[in-house]
Amino acid sequence: MKKKRKKKLGRETAWFWFFISPWIIGFCIFTAFPMLASFYYSFTNWDMFQAGSFVGLDNYKKLLGEEMFFKAVYNTFFYAFFYVVLSTLLSLFVAVLLNYPLKGRRIFRTIFYIPTLVPVVVSALLFFRVFAPQGPVNAALGFFGIEGPTWFFSETWSKPALIIMSLWGLGTAFILLLSGLQGIPGELYEAARIDGSGAWAEFRYITVPMLSPVIFYNVVMGIINSLQVFTQVYVIGTNPLMPGGSTGSGGGPGNSLLSIVQLLYIKGFRDYKMGYASAIAWVLLIIILIFTMLIFKSSALWTYYEEERK
Amino acid sequence: MKKKGSPIQTAVVYLILLLFSAAFLIPFIYMISIALSSDATANQAAYTIFPREFEFQNFVRIFTESDVPIWLKNSLILTVCNTVFTLVSSSMVAYGFARFRVKGKGVIFMILLSTMMIPTQVTLIPQFMIFRNLGWINTMLPLIIPNLFGSPFYIFMLRQFIMRLPISLDEAAKIDGMSYWGIYIKIVVPLIKPALAAVAIFAIMGNWNWFFEPMIYLNQTEKYPLAIGVQILSAVGHAGQLPLWNLMMAAAMILVIPMILLFFLGQRQMFELSISTGSDSIK
Repeated sequence: MKKKRKKKLGRETAWFWFFISPWIIGFCIFTAFPMLASFYYSFTNWDMFQAGSFVGLDNYKKLLGEEMFFKAVYNTFFYAFFYVVLSTLLSLFVAVLLNYPLKGRRIFRTIFYIPTLVPVVVSALLFFRVFAPQGPVNAALGFFGIEGPTWFFSETWSKPALIIMSLWGLGTAFILLLSGLQGIPGELYEAARIDGSGAWAEFRYITVPMLSPVIFYNVVMGIINSLQVFTQVYVIGTNPLMPGGSTGSGGGPGNSLLSIVQLLYIKGFRDYKMGYASAIAWVLLIIILIFTMLIFKSSALWTYYEEERK
Repeated sequence: MKKKGSPIQTAVVYLILLLFSAAFLIPFIYMISIALSSDATANQAAYTIFPREFEFQNFVRIFTESDVPIWLKNSLILTVCNTVFTLVSSSMVAYGFARFRVKGKGVIFMILLSTMMIPTQVTLIPQFMIFRNLGWINTMLPLIIPNLFGSPFYIFMLRQFIMRLPISLDEAAKIDGMSYWGIYIKIVVPLIKPALAAVAIFAIMGNWNWFFEPMIYLNQTEKYPLAIGVQILSAVGHAGQLPLWNLMMAAAMILVIPMILLFFLGQRQMFELSISTGSDSIK
């Protein structure tokens, strides 16, 4: 009897490994091995053509002495911080408004979601035009008597333009919040109303705590994705209308758009400094891990899970 | 919240929503307006927000005067292959994680989840070397073959979905002598069709818009997918002239329109799955 059970379990185990084998094989070939390899490469001066030699921490030291690298880190942090904060606030605001009993909610929902469907390449090119010095945004500002900046052509305004452009695609975060709102039991609000609390108190003490797990998810995804920003910057930075676009680094005016991934792309796939680029990749990984860990650690302070109450 | 607000409150909410809608819609209308502009307007960049010219001929021209047909074909190949491959491999792995009681499964699953955090750039350079040694550079193989091995995010989504199915169906089939493979093919796959549809939509969108890796692995114009093709049009123009933004935006619309159609076809499945995954992953 016991033996039979064991045999059965053995078969179940074998089938388990069979079913997950695609991922296991893929993990070994495309994740585990490349990670070890790139970690090793980051300590070599290997370029694509000649076998490199071990140089210890040289790549990392060089990185810390390079102005371009600090610029890229600053730009990426600036982008990630403002994008995550603003998209969280804006998507929350729009979702709360749309939770109000209105006619035409489905239409509004579709309007706010559709920009998410536009490929990043296309939205980058489109906003290059929307923010053109003579484009619609500056025309609208001019209507109010404000002389608009040159946006992507200005060292100061290129990052804000990039952030506004990304906010156009907040649909995914917004849809999750909206469904979270619809899951909040109405009794909570009724009870609050009987207690005589105002709209702000309801928002602060019911809506935000109840939505905090969704906000948490959006923030984590937002951070991971925005720290890897590349396509938008590349498309805008290398456009021939951009000064130095077709010949320079493609990082926009004064490299004010240059991102970490873009620097990696330039060093690795244009200058073929693969060892150096691997070091950049590992710094990026460590940055992402630190931020994700900080968010996870802090989440106990500000997220609220219903299960805990029970 | 379900209580009707005062008329003034309702009016204010409507007003704000309309303003936001305008902000979200205007770039879209502007894209259409640029795509329908004449060459003369494009050369002076004298576009208007609302279309004033209606050069539908632009959509014919991008098919006859540029490489859009080739790029479109490449995009279709990439999208179809990758969507099919990722559906098959991810659903198999998801079934494995959802239905088997095996020691160490929890740890392996944690590893799978944590790989989602690793930026693709960390593995990119060694992967590039692997594919270069295989002689696969400038072919679609480096972009397609990895899809045979499942994608962590889709595996996670499908596993959550399978776990919500009643296990009694599996048990009954097992008593009837059905093998695990039979249960997967005949019972699980038919039941998770809505989730597979949603994953298919996400995979189609992801592959259709894919930019970074195709740019790394492909280096000839006629090998590119349309997403890169549009960028090429914006950078080098066509027929050796300055980039014509009206034609470029027309090509961009060829990229956008199928995604919008897909959204209207599958929005229910998409929303349901992304919402349930979003709420699962935070627990």
